Amino acid sequence: MFDRLDPTLTSLIVSSEESEAIGACLKRLMDETGATHIMLLDRAGQIISWQGGESRMQEMMHLGALLAGAYATSREMARLLKEDGFRVLVQEGMREKIFTETVEDRWLLVVVFDHQAHLGLVKVLAKRATQSLTGILHLVIQNNESRRSQFRGGIRKAAVDTIDLLFNDDSAPSPGQTTEKKPWP
Amino acid sequence: MALINVAAREIHGKIVYYGPGLCGKTTNLQFIHGKIPQNGRSDLLSIATETERTLFFDFLPLDLGKVHGFTIRFHLYTVPGQILYERTRVAVLNGADGVVFVADAQRDRLADNLQSLRELAHNLTNQGKRLLEFPLVMQYNKMDLPTALPTPVLDRYLNTIKVPRFEAVAVKGTGVFETLRAISKLVVNKL
Repeated sequence: MFDRLDPTLTSLIVSSEESEAIGACLKRLMDETGATHIMLLDRAGQIISWQGGESRMQEMMHLGALLAGAYATSREMARLLKEDGFRVLVQEGMREKIFTETVEDRWLLVVVFDHQAHLGLVKVLAKRATQSLTGILHLVIQNNESRRSQFRGGIRKAAVDTIDLLFNDDSAPSPGQTTEKKPWP
Repeated sequence: MALINVAAREIHGKIVYYGPGLCGKTTNLQFIHGKIPQNGRSDLLSIATETERTLFFDFLPLDLGKVHGFTIRFHLYTVPGQILYERTRVAVLNGADGVVFVADAQRDRLADNLQSLRELAHNLTNQGKRLLEFPLVMQYNKMDLPTALPTPVLDRYLNTIKVPRFEAVAVKGTGVFETLRAISKLVVNKL
């Protein structure tokens, strides 16, 4: 299935229904493991979905970038050792632990938990969750091309105009565009 | 690859600043970070050595605003420029939607620029990207120095594929936002 994914593909569109299914999968994992935060990242470290308190949102965004970098680094290490790859990463601190598992080498499932949850249980249940997420990922990829052509109409031009406006360019924004921020710098 | 999250109404992209050691990649991100209005500013995350050289990457999330109800959010990264960290650069480049190649315009850095540019081309090709179609912008940094090569010379050696290029003095902010605007537009055009 994943051999067919074009490496030059420039965007992946996750629909509302798929986001809902991902959210339900993460919530179930959180309830069953007692984790404090759970995230699904893409390979670039961008958060696709997450569960946990809003107060740590910025921390989680930075954590996502670092974990994606750590995972990509571990892939390079595996390549040097002529391994196929390292499927999981585990970081253990005094108070919190982080368990990361890849979903078909496209997404990363991240479980942040404290002493109330057990690593063994997290490993087993995360494995089950990655199987469900793999099914959703297959659907996302299957539907991507038709969604891209629908999505692209108009948004590219509006986005380029917005960027010009934000960076104080003279070109006027397109009708229908909304810019909720003041231009900068 | 850019991520379009319909439920969250967000478009995410990853832009990587690439180039030889001490060319000014981190300086670009520091200047951008300093100019973002405080209410929308996230921390600039830097994984650096004790001597402030980039060890892993710098990371700056940047919220550009809304289009058709979708928030455009770019994640800006730098790579470590030192030769030792070649495999780390491969890791950071993973999943990039666009690259800014920051060249050090000084005469004695030309060979380093060329080596770094060749490595970038090799790494992108290895990741399945078609170089001529990939969003790439070039920045000639440190143009204020007396040892800087003239732009036509830099063009001849570094910009043979004729991508958009900008003269810059990143430490003063000259050319920084022009470069960012150009790469942002190229990335958005590839959605």
